[in-house]
Amino acid sequence: MECPPNRYSRRLLLWALLCAVLAVAVGIARREGLIPSSLRWAAALLPVVPMAGYFVGLGGWLKSLDELQRLIQLEALLVQFGLTGIVVMGYGLLAKFEVVPNTGIAESWAWLWMVLFFSWALGQLIVRRKYR
Amino acid sequence: MTNRLRVLRAERAWSQADLAQRLQVSRQTVNAIETGKYDPSLPLAFAIARLFQQPIEAIFSPNGAPDG
Repeated sequence: MECPPNRYSRRLLLWALLCAVLAVAVGIARREGLIPSSLRWAAALLPVVPMAGYFVGLGGWLKSLDELQRLIQLEALLVQFGLTGIVVMGYGLLAKFEVVPNTGIAESWAWLWMVLFFSWALGQLIVRRKYR
Repeated sequence: MTNRLRVLRAERAWSQADLAQRLQVSRQTVNAIETGKYDPSLPLAFAIARLFQQPIEAIFSPNGAPDG
């Protein structure tokens, strides 16, 4: 139980890949003008659908962990939440003061996921050392 | 909280991985309990007591608790 069981890892990877593939596919379709205006809502939100599957899978993985591993995940989430909030708020304030380019909300979702992922990974490193 | 888990495990010549497998937890969890970095929940403490066939208070004791 040191690592997430393979079946969960595989399932989570598949959901994440599906999300990425759909995001690229609808992006290309939009650029090529293949999406009728009546379907723009559905096309825009299509990549979000696999994310629901991803988080259901994540719940299953969490349930499969023992109590210390769950505590580690909880503390790693705290690091993730705090760090993401600080980075996003910090960047937002810098943009407001025109120190960095104001990318806007529409452009921010992609790097927000990057920040979430890397802050979670950093949280794992910090918290795992604590219980080593 | 202090515990005698390492001693009890050594008496049976079990590795941390062996004990982890018997308790259905990770080796890291066994190590964290043994080193006092993590106090197990009541269900896990009962599982440990059952495995070693000893009462919980013979395995775990609060820090600074008077003997007897």
